[in-house]
Amino acid sequence: MATANPRHCAEKSISSRHTDEEAAQSDEGSDCGSTASSFSSSDSSDDLEPEWLDDIQKNGELFYLELSEGEEEAALAQQVNQGVSTNHVRFSEKEAEIITEQNKKQRCGSRAKGEPTLKKLARILRRKRRPSQRRGGKDGCKDSSSPPASILKNQQGQRQGVTVQQQQLKEVCVYLNPKRLGGSSTPLCDGGGLLEALLGVVHRPAWSRGQEDPAVLTREERLTVHGLIPNSPAIKCGQILIGDALVAVDDVDVTSENIERVLSCIPGPTQVRLTLETVAPLDRVSAGDTSLIRRTKASPPVSQLVRLLWGEDTAELQMSISHIPHIVMYLSLKLDSTSPQEEEEVLYQYPVSGASSQLKGVRGIFITLCDMLENVTGGRIISSSLLLGKHLVHVGYWKESNNLLVIGLPAERVPLLYLQTVVGDVVRTLKVMYGSLDSAFCKADHAPRLDHFFCLFFQQLIQPSRLREDSSSAPPPDISGTLFLDGLPAVRWLTLPPEIKMEVDTVLSDFESSDFGEMSEDFFGLRRLYIILGSCLFYKSYLIANHLPKEDLLDVCLYCQHYCLLPLASEQRVGQLVIWREVFPQQRANGATPGYSQPEGRHFLLIVGLRHFMQCVLLEAGGCASPALGSPGPDCVYIDQVKATLLQLEVLEPGIEERLNAPPAPCLSCADWFLPAATARDRLDSLASSSPVFSKLAGAVKASSSGYRARTLFGEKSWRASPQRSLSDSGSEGQMDAGSGSSSSAAPGLSPHSTPDSARKLGGRRDSLGSGGSDGSGGSGGLFKIPRMKHPNPFYLGTLKKTLTERETEEMYNTMKLTSGAENTLFHYVLMETVQGIFIAPTHREVAQLSGSIHPQLIRNFHHCCLSIRAAFQQSLPARSRRAADRPQGGGWGLGPVKEHGVLFQCKPENWTDQKKPAPTMTYWVIGRMLLEPVPQEFYVCFHDSVPEVPVEMAFRLSFGLAL
Amino acid sequence: MMLQDGATQLLCLTASSGVPLFTRGASKQLPFSVIGSLNGVHMFGGGQGVVLTCSETQGGGKVVWRLFQDSVILIAVSGGGDGGVGSSKEEEARLQRLLENVWGCMVLVLGLDELVNVRNVERLKRELRSCFSLIDELLEDKQEGILGNLTHCADSLVPPNPALFQEAVDGFAQAAESEFGCLVVHGRIATATEKWWRLAPQEVVLLSALIRSHSASGSASCDYPIFLPHGSPTVAHRLLRFQLLPGADVCVLCGPTPSLHGAETGLVGRFWSPLVETLRECLAVGERCLPGSVSVRPDVLALLLINRETRRAVSCVRTSNYHYDDPLLSRARCWELLKLFYIFSTSRYFTQEEPLCVSTEEKAQRSNTEDFPLGFSHQPQQCYLVTEECKSYGLQTPQHQLFLLILPSVPTFALRTLATQTLSDIVAATGF
Repeated sequence: MATANPRHCAEKSISSRHTDEEAAQSDEGSDCGSTASSFSSSDSSDDLEPEWLDDIQKNGELFYLELSEGEEEAALAQQVNQGVSTNHVRFSEKEAEIITEQNKKQRCGSRAKGEPTLKKLARILRRKRRPSQRRGGKDGCKDSSSPPASILKNQQGQRQGVTVQQQQLKEVCVYLNPKRLGGSSTPLCDGGGLLEALLGVVHRPAWSRGQEDPAVLTREERLTVHGLIPNSPAIKCGQILIGDALVAVDDVDVTSENIERVLSCIPGPTQVRLTLETVAPLDRVSAGDTSLIRRTKASPPVSQLVRLLWGEDTAELQMSISHIPHIVMYLSLKLDSTSPQEEEEVLYQYPVSGASSQLKGVRGIFITLCDMLENVTGGRIISSSLLLGKHLVHVGYWKESNNLLVIGLPAERVPLLYLQTVVGDVVRTLKVMYGSLDSAFCKADHAPRLDHFFCLFFQQLIQPSRLREDSSSAPPPDISGTLFLDGLPAVRWLTLPPEIKMEVDTVLSDFESSDFGEMSEDFFGLRRLYIILGSCLFYKSYLIANHLPKEDLLDVCLYCQHYCLLPLASEQRVGQLVIWREVFPQQRANGATPGYSQPEGRHFLLIVGLRHFMQCVLLEAGGCASPALGSPGPDCVYIDQVKATLLQLEVLEPGIEERLNAPPAPCLSCADWFLPAATARDRLDSLASSSPVFSKLAGAVKASSSGYRARTLFGEKSWRASPQRSLSDSGSEGQMDAGSGSSSSAAPGLSPHSTPDSARKLGGRRDSLGSGGSDGSGGSGGLFKIPRMKHPNPFYLGTLKKTLTERETEEMYNTMKLTSGAENTLFHYVLMETVQGIFIAPTHREVAQLSGSIHPQLIRNFHHCCLSIRAAFQQSLPARSRRAADRPQGGGWGLGPVKEHGVLFQCKPENWTDQKKPAPTMTYWVIGRMLLEPVPQEFYVCFHDSVPEVPVEMAFRLSFGLAL
Repeated sequence: MMLQDGATQLLCLTASSGVPLFTRGASKQLPFSVIGSLNGVHMFGGGQGVVLTCSETQGGGKVVWRLFQDSVILIAVSGGGDGGVGSSKEEEARLQRLLENVWGCMVLVLGLDELVNVRNVERLKRELRSCFSLIDELLEDKQEGILGNLTHCADSLVPPNPALFQEAVDGFAQAAESEFGCLVVHGRIATATEKWWRLAPQEVVLLSALIRSHSASGSASCDYPIFLPHGSPTVAHRLLRFQLLPGADVCVLCGPTPSLHGAETGLVGRFWSPLVETLRECLAVGERCLPGSVSVRPDVLALLLINRETRRAVSCVRTSNYHYDDPLLSRARCWELLKLFYIFSTSRYFTQEEPLCVSTEEKAQRSNTEDFPLGFSHQPQQCYLVTEECKSYGLQTPQHQLFLLILPSVPTFALRTLATQTLSDIVAATGF
């Protein structure tokens, strides 16, 4: 291991070698691996810089987030899959050839120069992961995953040059990352410069083209697009066409004269808006070429969340909520009359404007109450409620030494019941990040960072929808859900098949052993810099492996939650994420274990994310590693090791994806199926024409391999459904079964792979649906899964009797079903293991499969109710712990420790228009139960009330299935 | 710590000048500096357009502020002390109710004018002393089986033969030139004229409390001037109360006539002497509130049944042999648990609508304190709670609310059946 000084060089050589070993190891038949090795063999140069190097701050912290290149492609590819295949591209042979040539030249050039930069390596590695794309890129035209972009449109128009039709302006958003620029690798001599290198637009100045009309030969030339470089942002966005002219970049007018300057001003990865003048008469295009219209809405703007994380744009977001009262203040309770400053008792405050200034104005109340009430009631103040005009605001307090943290939040966002949890989490996050509240708030240079911290905090609580880009289509965000799940002292866990789990654990353990080749201590005869205390691994926001003690895990997870890293990873946005900072794990700081003192050391948190994977590593300096001096920045060796680990793990991605795609176990029902048929049918009829829902439904079936049956859909709908489905995919195992009553209409016309469900017949259901559910055609359906492959069932005859026996066999085949009775009635669940600090709940995808109009409502309701249930558990905890002590007789004892709490809800379909009949209703339970034996667990379930359940049994079954 | 565990202290100050009018509750009065600060923070916030409503401390301590008619501010401070459900949210709901009732009580006795237009603070202080007994009763809330202060539903008793009583009460009130009359047995309303039920729920509850306190004093009859906090806060009425038997009183609300003596001699005997035996039967029903014809399963420890339309409630704690020797579940504890469970369910799940005579200001206040139930997208219908001591079940129908405490030995899945069965039994038997 290298020491501090000579480290720079040595380290890098190590790291690069490692990385490409890695690459060579895991190459998938593409030539990149070998290319990479050839690069690195000649390495020695000084410009071996990882792309995040510039982002390291003075105190050594690093937050580097880079979106994946695949983002926009993915968006486009998705749209292409929706079926526009008629779009053929016409090429000018000549132009196309130019591109290819240049492309090759570039490659050769760079190879010849042999610049083994790490970023290039990283880029190549990244490309390798998308072999199809890269292949597509090579021949410079269409590839399978990106749309058949009409690079050249309207050729004659361009040829004739000046006599064009209408000129139209269009705006295109492009994501640029100058950091990834290959430096000198781009042939600047071609005159392309940044325009080519960064944007990927080939513009050949008239004087070099020669054959063009000499009339336009001026120095300030229009920036006509003559070609597009494969795999460049320009071609990927699909809207920049050859023949267009680039007019402005982010509203700055550009010409050939100033374009290089303008582009060079782009500091870091960002999204720019290009204004292009297009020669195509749009109406004609829209008639002939649907793809263009499709593309106008293609490239999605970078989401607000990412922009917020990048530190852009906070002002605008903050403005939009400034009318809602919210505030955080750090107040000093010590009066120092000598201080010349005004408002000296306000050590920190955010935000400064809007309704919060009113709250700041009454800070005297908070200080007085905090001081006085402790004497009156003998307990520290926790919260106050205030009315500001019409807004009810809950204020949470946290007192530390002589200072007081005050957080005010609107009541409609955070119920009083849960305020304390929210405040506690913020405080803990701050303590993890800064050691203590005092050190967080009292250093002046922390202010901008705290502003950013609290901006994120308030945005997440007050307008979570703004942070998600597709907020228009998405259902209203589930605030209670966020509150509840984030407030649990646990992390969302994804159970994996044992073989994958073992593999993941092995890889992580290998990493944690710190035994990576040259990094071992004897190699350099030096003490290592950091000890790896443990790490945990997230895949798409699910924890899949954890080698950290529980409290450390919670600390790390709080940090990730606060910075929204988990949703970020699940939305496939992360190209590369590197976070490095000193942290103060709470357990270690408090030294809770008696008889064993933790080694005095400093701790660092390293988070590296690559696409869907994210690994958090907790490092310790001091102790048995060498003590850290000053504020050390991120260490390349460790980062590269984590990256290597992640790359190694990517082999497992298909397996994990398969797990995510697997039908839910335990299987879930959708609430909508339990409402009598009429409603759903009405709704579907109205939607059948426009049918976004319907296609979503079909999509859901396609996505899932679970056979699932929405009985309410059928009857009339079955025939409409099946053709659509078989069109959309022939290989799906999923099957919609039109099994209403004893009619078995689904089987014909389906793919041979499909596994006909054993329909769960309704006849036997003890129903309490109220009105409609009793007859055969009405009622509901159940969702259940069949382990595919294992259980093909070719003998589907469709009679009721057959179905019943089938169900029995199915049960023998271990369909994991939580509830008892003829039908699955489980809607949703959350199980928390307190000891390990994890919880499991149906995955997002499983929930999405159950799309319906009522089901999302039901889940929101479930979470809201869980807030209350958990609050009841929490409140009884101190009482429970004091049980041994004398229990007061008479007043004040409260309800006592709560073991179980359930609420029955009734829901009605919205917009019930039928005057004659009362709206059908569906009732369901939300039950929470706290188990202390054998392991402390909290279990929350939501199920239809038709079957009287014994939740103990459910809890047992579920936790039994939770393989850890 | 200035306040003992579990104690509640009530402070009353004039809003404009901050002069303390009275403090009640808790053996040791809070020092004036604390009273002044508590009032001061609220007053200061008011000046800044911020209305402070409540604060909570660790261990369940609570302070609730409430300004009435811009003239009087009431502050309730509760020492909390013990955790457990029923410590924070529930405590706040209880204190809010308490302040409403205390204010209602002050209006009932003094009239709104006195309180709003304070000319002489010293005189007001003296006059307020006449409310103290009632306020203390509200504050201590010691009388077992009286939940009306909390529920704002009249504690009722279902007599064995209601028709007889109804006829007598109607006739008696008519003879006394009044439309408002009621028969109170064991502090609970057995029968009342239709108009009596049309009074605001809070008025009914406060009048019951007033009658109870006078009845407890043992006097045979009394004539008491009262203001109705919602119905006629500025014009006084007379409340005439006559003791029929120990534990059974009849009351009328009337104008200047008849005189107490005239009514006592002329009317009481005429209407009530034929019914003495029936009254004795009714007294025998006792605190069970339900006639013997109604059978309640022995598993049920306590029940509270509310008719949401008439705003009446019956409640009882059963003392059967099953659990009498269990020290944890004394009668007092049962009543306490029932109250706590009621507050727990209503503050979280069952929104209370009080359609009548709730001022818009109060409505706003209520919607603020009960923000949590509004967050549900679907309507909660029933809920249960399993604690170490017992199981509690609450259910709500359009007509009724039923809250039960059930023996812990009853399996959880049977609770629902038991509750619905109990409800239908009682309703079928009494038409409650």
